[in-house]
Amino acid sequence: MVYFINDIITGALIGLLYALVAMGFVVIYRASKVFNFAQGELVIIGGFIVWFTTMQLGLSLWLSIPLSLVLAGLVGYAIERIFLTKLIGESVFSMVMVTVGLLILLRGLVLLLFGPAVRPFPIIFPLKPLFLGDMLIPMNLLAGGIITIVAAVGLSWFFNRTRSGLRMTAVAEDHVVASSMGISVKGSIAFAWVLGAILSTIGAMIFLSGKSLTFLASDIGFAALPVALFAGLESIGGLILAGVIIGVVQSLTTNYLDPMIGGSLGSVVPYIIMLAILLIRPTGLFGWRTIERV
Amino acid sequence: MICKMKPGFRGLLAAGAVALTATMPMKAQAEETYNLALLSDFSGPYADIMPVLAGGREAVFKWWNATQGKELGVTLNYKNYETRYDAAQVASLWPGIKSELNPIAVVGLGGPDVAALSERLPEDKIPMFMATAAYGFAWKEDAWIFNPRPTYSHESAGFLAWMKEQRGGDEPLKVAIMASEASPAYVDMAKGLELYAEENPDALEVVEVIYTEVQPTDLTTQMRRVARAGAEALIVQTNTSIVVAAKRGLQANGADIPIMMSSHNGLPASGGALGGLDQLEGDFEAYGMAVAAEEDTPARQFYQTLVAEYDLDAPWNVVTAMGVSQGLYTVTVIQHAIEENGAEGLTGEMVREALFAKPITTEETHGFLPTLTFTPEAPFPLKGLKVNVGTVKDGKITIEATGVDVPDVHKW
Repeated sequence: MVYFINDIITGALIGLLYALVAMGFVVIYRASKVFNFAQGELVIIGGFIVWFTTMQLGLSLWLSIPLSLVLAGLVGYAIERIFLTKLIGESVFSMVMVTVGLLILLRGLVLLLFGPAVRPFPIIFPLKPLFLGDMLIPMNLLAGGIITIVAAVGLSWFFNRTRSGLRMTAVAEDHVVASSMGISVKGSIAFAWVLGAILSTIGAMIFLSGKSLTFLASDIGFAALPVALFAGLESIGGLILAGVIIGVVQSLTTNYLDPMIGGSLGSVVPYIIMLAILLIRPTGLFGWRTIERV
Repeated sequence: MICKMKPGFRGLLAAGAVALTATMPMKAQAEETYNLALLSDFSGPYADIMPVLAGGREAVFKWWNATQGKELGVTLNYKNYETRYDAAQVASLWPGIKSELNPIAVVGLGGPDVAALSERLPEDKIPMFMATAAYGFAWKEDAWIFNPRPTYSHESAGFLAWMKEQRGGDEPLKVAIMASEASPAYVDMAKGLELYAEENPDALEVVEVIYTEVQPTDLTTQMRRVARAGAEALIVQTNTSIVVAAKRGLQANGADIPIMMSSHNGLPASGGALGGLDQLEGDFEAYGMAVAAEEDTPARQFYQTLVAEYDLDAPWNVVTAMGVSQGLYTVTVIQHAIEENGAEGLTGEMVREALFAKPITTEETHGFLPTLTFTPEAPFPLKGLKVNVGTVKDGKITIEATGVDVPDVHKW
């Protein structure tokens, strides 16, 4: 029974990590209505920035982490300025297709700049797990869970209670209408990309702490996709619940069903949940319902 | 006008004519040139290891041309083709390669080459020689693509048989396997060993096959289950990231279960990804090829010859060893074909026939490979299979065992 509870806790924490990566999707979507297919690549870029500042430049973690977050923010800003700013006012579809192109470009850029070699990622969180009786909890996941909850509460407050956040929400509604109301659409979208890149870098630190870094790590972007769609693409708070549900179901499937069937149902189950929820409630658990008056 | 010559001068002319006649065939032989197409990935996922692997195989071709080839009157020309490890790229390049080079053999790199050319090479009658271990799904008769090593499952079965012998006792060795559905090859590695365990319950008990992603999020709970099940070894032939995640999971649980890796994710690569070889103290790599360790072996001596005399610029590691061993068995088969058919008019078909006609001895490959006896039943040797085992001792890679017999593994 102890192990069963432990599997539930670990699953919930992994789900919260997915929720943190998914937060990058949601922040960008809420500001621009653009679904960023290159979210996993932003995680990789963030990971390589942390690796570079720590392992290559030899900076201490206290220095390299804030520096990495600043650099990641600059990368997010640059992406928005170079690729997306000219598309403001164009169809959302064009912007989404740009993110597909971005996925390929960033992956190629990582290979070009850093090569495909597997690199040791710095140990940011202690490797020794937290022992609670017979239960053990990986420290990176525990810290990640706390960071995710704090980030979700903070961002929910920002988007729902501050003028800047509400302006970004207005931009997501309609670029032209928001512009006509004097809201800086470019500024809002750029800020969202900066935020998305920073969240991805924090996700990379939790995901990769003490492990290895290659471009394969971008797969976590796809793992976070069901969480984002399950929660509803506009809901930051909903990500917590969606992440926990998907993480726990995946963990129990991986630990109890997979050994019985001799396969990897655990990696498929989040997508089954995602498809099921999209069939029943296309806007996700907490997504906005749009009412159009004809 | 009649010109009279002195008898001594006539004798000198005759001797000269004889000498000229005798040297003529040699001269003709020396003009025989054949081409090899080298499929390479200098800009794709294996770009980081490709210069080293390519350096190994090219140095062997240089060595062969300067030694054995010179004696036989044959020169092997070679040309690298950039495939980006992409089957579509290989398929689109192949007609051009064929018309440009008319190669007698292809020296391949990996799965995309096999996928793109497995149907074409039998029609074009050109064999391809690989460097890696083989796969169960490619275990078919009348192959034109060949591996010097058996399947990954053969290699892990050989290692586990050795480990059981080291442990002693009659109980089966308990083992866990890491797999991933991200690649058919990773599933294949697990399925073969599972079948072997099913058929040999006295030798092996698979406590669990753990399927994970190619970059796992966390394996702590999975490793706890493995430790609780009493696993005595963990087989990870997938990739380096999974080795790292599994090792971290074992360390978190305080479990001291040795990991067995393969050549492509072996001790140097995984140690590097973990931050140092010392992290893998007591873990193993096992494969049917020489271990690039500190010891002075015939393979290392040959490597040093290539470095000193044939411009090989590559470190002594498992990737270089793969390139050198691939080059060595390729040139040995071609040499056998020349010895059988003569230097003139050699074709890809003759090279393939030579592969089946005569074993490639371990002496011919300077100890890089065991003696290889190919048959039309499989794309790799089925008999006399051996694996070598390397480990980390005091932070250095050392040879733990050589020539370990591989048990019979049935087709799956």
